[in-house]
Amino acid sequence: MVQETEKPSVPPAWSIKRWLFTTNHKDVGILYLLTSVFFFVAAGWLALLVRTQLGAPDNAFLNSSAYNQAVTVHGLLMVLWFLSPFAIGFANYIVPLQIGARDLAFPRLNALSYWLYFFSGILMLMSFFTGSAPDGGWTLYSPLSSQRYTPFLGLNVAAAGIIMMIASITVGTVNFIVTIVRMRAPGLKYKHLPMFTWAMLITIGMMLYAFPSLLAGTLILFADRALGTLYFSAPEGGAILWDHLFWFFGHPEVYIVLFPAIGVVGDILPTFTRRPLYGKKYIVLSLVAAAIISFVVWGHHMFITGINPTVMKLFNITTVAVSLPFDVITIAMIETLVRAKIRLKAPVLFAIGSIALFVIGGITGVFLASVALDFQLRGTYWVVSHFHYVMVGGSAMALIGGLYYWFPKITGRMYNEKLAKTHFLLSFIGFNVLYFPMYLLLDMPRRIVTYTASTGWGQMNLLATAGAWIFGLSQLLMFYNLFVSMKKGMPAGPNPWQASTLEWATSSPPPFHNFDTIPVISEGVVHLTNGAGHSAALGAKAETEHVHETHTSTWPIIISAAAFFTLLGLLMGFPVLQLAVAFGVIAVYGYGRERFTVRHEENAESWPYQGVENVKLGVWIFLASEVIFFSALLGAYIFVRVNSATWPAAGQILSIQHGAVNTFILLTSSFTAVLALVSAKAGSRKYTMLSLLTTLVLGLAFMLNKASEWKELIEHGFTFNSGLPASSYFITTGAHGVHVAAGLATIVYLIIRAAEGRYTKGDSGTIEHFGLYWHFVDIVWVFLFPLFYLL
Amino acid sequence: MPDLGNNILVSNTYETFTGLFGTFSTLAIIVGAVVLGLMTYLILRYRDKGTSTQEPEDAPTLGKLPAERGKVKTIAVSLTLSTTILVFLVFGTFGALDNILTPPKDAIDIKVTAFQWGWKFAYPNGYEETKELRVPVGKAVRLIVVSEDVFHNFGIYDYKIKIDAIKGRTNHIWFEAKQPGEFTIQCYELCGIGHAFMKAKLVAMEPGAFNAWYSTSGA
Ligand code: HEM
Ligand SMILES: [Cu+2]
Ligand SMILES: [Cu+2]
Repeated sequence: MVQETEKPSVPPAWSIKRWLFTTNHKDVGILYLLTSVFFFVAAGWLALLVRTQLGAPDNAFLNSSAYNQAVTVHGLLMVLWFLSPFAIGFANYIVPLQIGARDLAFPRLNALSYWLYFFSGILMLMSFFTGSAPDGGWTLYSPLSSQRYTPFLGLNVAAAGIIMMIASITVGTVNFIVTIVRMRAPGLKYKHLPMFTWAMLITIGMMLYAFPSLLAGTLILFADRALGTLYFSAPEGGAILWDHLFWFFGHPEVYIVLFPAIGVVGDILPTFTRRPLYGKKYIVLSLVAAAIISFVVWGHHMFITGINPTVMKLFNITTVAVSLPFDVITIAMIETLVRAKIRLKAPVLFAIGSIALFVIGGITGVFLASVALDFQLRGTYWVVSHFHYVMVGGSAMALIGGLYYWFPKITGRMYNEKLAKTHFLLSFIGFNVLYFPMYLLLDMPRRIVTYTASTGWGQMNLLATAGAWIFGLSQLLMFYNLFVSMKKGMPAGPNPWQASTLEWATSSPPPFHNFDTIPVISEGVVHLTNGAGHSAALGAKAETEHVHETHTSTWPIIISAAAFFTLLGLLMGFPVLQLAVAFGVIAVYGYGRERFTVRHEENAESWPYQGVENVKLGVWIFLASEVIFFSALLGAYIFVRVNSATWPAAGQILSIQHGAVNTFILLTSSFTAVLALVSAKAGSRKYTMLSLLTTLVLGLAFMLNKASEWKELIEHGFTFNSGLPASSYFITTGAHGVHVAAGLATIVYLIIRAAEGRYTKGDSGTIEHFGLYWHFVDIVWVFLFPLFYLL
Repeated sequence: MPDLGNNILVSNTYETFTGLFGTFSTLAIIVGAVVLGLMTYLILRYRDKGTSTQEPEDAPTLGKLPAERGKVKTIAVSLTLSTTILVFLVFGTFGALDNILTPPKDAIDIKVTAFQWGWKFAYPNGYEETKELRVPVGKAVRLIVVSEDVFHNFGIYDYKIKIDAIKGRTNHIWFEAKQPGEFTIQCYELCGIGHAFMKAKLVAMEPGAFNAWYSTSGA
């Protein structure tokens, strides 16, 4: 057995360079945690402003505009920039440790995902300084969010931020799925995965299918606002179309922020109750069931938009059904306590507290599932209370528990238990004083800047505001505690809680490579040798091969910065846009060429992924999210078309000829892409390059034909803002065109590399991955062509 | 109890809502109390009192995969119980829903147009106004709700009823006032900076007084 003593070549922890360029999952995890906590504080501050305004009737502390911005940005930041990334921070740090891996499958992509998130947050905050931050509610309902009713650049900047955020999430989902599916330690079966890893796997799965719908919606919103298309401002699309796109994402999203918390509780409970989690199997099954059902309940957000009564009833039933898995989960968690020996430390207090609050939030949610009651409860403080019980009580509280739980692992030091308990007590009491009174305000509309004294709502609001300050200030105790303990806390040792999962089997903080030798699991026993001095029960897998791994890359941050300026450039025009795009192309090229080696332990290959290597699996996962994205775009098109009284007949405006030629070109190019792969496999450089070149030429021909078609159309008055037929056509084919363009850029890169002698020596993988993408883009066109040109 | 007004039956919708809400609340309080009570009991009963160092047999141990624990029966029983409760609630809901969605044939139609930031009420005789919506007690009123601009939501505090006002769509609700009085109409969907002040007054009048007012208004 070889003990690895080689020091990884990374800058030391105190250097700024380390944190800008690191690709190590633990470093990136810490970056995620810190950044998300920053957004928690920012959003919390906004909430306190809002609560202070509402503390008394007829208050004029904030005006309408400031209030609406504060409420909206509070909601957006808390949901998208705090809760999810906070969980992702833990996932980054903990998941590889829990599955016995050395890092994520794609460390550089992981850094990219963090930096995209970082810059997306800057865009979001910048919106305050560009006219006005979004002020139409975090749900961004249209047509209020259209240019006409919200004529501020700020919303465009924020929409750009959301788009970038989704890019970050997509990159992250691909990475985590590949990691959990393929990099588990030998013998670590799915059924052995700790609850947190399980919950993250399911969460990431939901992200993969939910976010593309928001992406489609936000892109259309962005196009409407920046280019003048009419999707959301036309009565045939408008409010209802946005509702569908937003809530198809939105409901799964509330589970996306909840599930990681369930995972945290599922890991904390056994550790502190000293009993195994009750019915873990059923908890996992329930999570899967809830994840699936969550995609068919979105209509409950539209109960009183005047949808068909049968549809209402169906959504009522699915929504009630989705509460059943949560019932199983809660009961199982509570059963865990039976005949336990509960050590009431801070992490478990937060975990149990969060279950209690989740029970209240869940039960009051059943009221909202009832379409009849929703005719009253919609848009009132009942809703505000319900979702805060679930998201703050159920989710944030549990994640804070997770912070205390893993703090010793991350820093190697213990926090102060007394302060932590006080923090729990104050925030639990503060929370209930803050939100319980809101259940009693079931006539008070949400998102109102003020109310008159005659409503009688003053007292409950005052109480809520007092609770808000208690809750808010109590968080300072945590910050103080953790900050001081980071330096001065007692050394924690590898496993201060006597936990059983693998992250505790290595030192605190873990060494750079997590485990000196990869743990091996057989017959219920984990065999490991590690820095913590646990000796192996059996011989663990020896590491003989010595690979020089890379742990830093300058490109992720540069690409993200380029993306940031490109999005800004879309709003500012020349020369920012052109410079940013050029900068971006160079950065992506640099990323592609960088020598970045990782040691791949593909330990747990299992059906159906046998023999599929990481990148290919990643491409497939990415394409799955693309399918949802284009389905959402096409769905939007079909929606407005069905709702429009008139629509130009086939051949009347769009030239079938143009479309048919392009279909032909693209299909041929798919064929030449296959030829490129075949030639590369056969080892022929000449034919590989020739096929790639042909593909490139065909792709360019497609783009040129498309450009001339667009030009003609626009000259004949079929412009972005000439009506829904034009808007839907330009947005959908435009999104497809961007995909073609990205493909062409990739081909250029492939040609350069092939000329340097790549791909023909048994390393044709990259060409194969490109081929998958290219075929996908062609297939999308095969759908677009009949839908737009022939029908 | 949450603010259900002064417990006077001001309208049929109030009655429908409070009835159903009462059923939900009763069950919610029972279920909540049982679950939270059980939890509290278990914590107190099984907390580590520090009296012995003995660990449970299946306590988590590093290096060992946790033992399987949990009976299908417990899960099934709790699932059956909650399904029963939920099915019962769904039936209650659908009953109330039919009532909410089906106005009597002879209802008076009043058109409500939402705009940034106010309401316009148009009566069958052509009379229009923006400050007040007058209706007769004891007669069904059907509101035809539309929007001129953005998404709004028409709601009446004490009547416990609301409906979205969306451009390009026509939505309906109906109610029957049971008591004369004045009630507040307010917008329940964020619609811009005037949202909080997008109010009007609902005046429920004795039929005689209403008829007298109606015949002299408009036309
Ligand atoms: C994890 C923590 C939290 C999450 C995920 C969260 C989420 C949200 C969301 C999504 C909204 C809706 C925004 C909108 O209407 O557009 C909202 C509103 C609000 N939140 Fe939070 N929130 C959190 C914490 C807090 C805290 C700590 C407070 C109090 C100090 C608070 C007070 C409020 C208030 C007053 C509103 C406005 C309600 C309204 O006017 O509709 N929230 N929150
Ligand atoms: Cu939902
Ligand atoms: Cu409004």
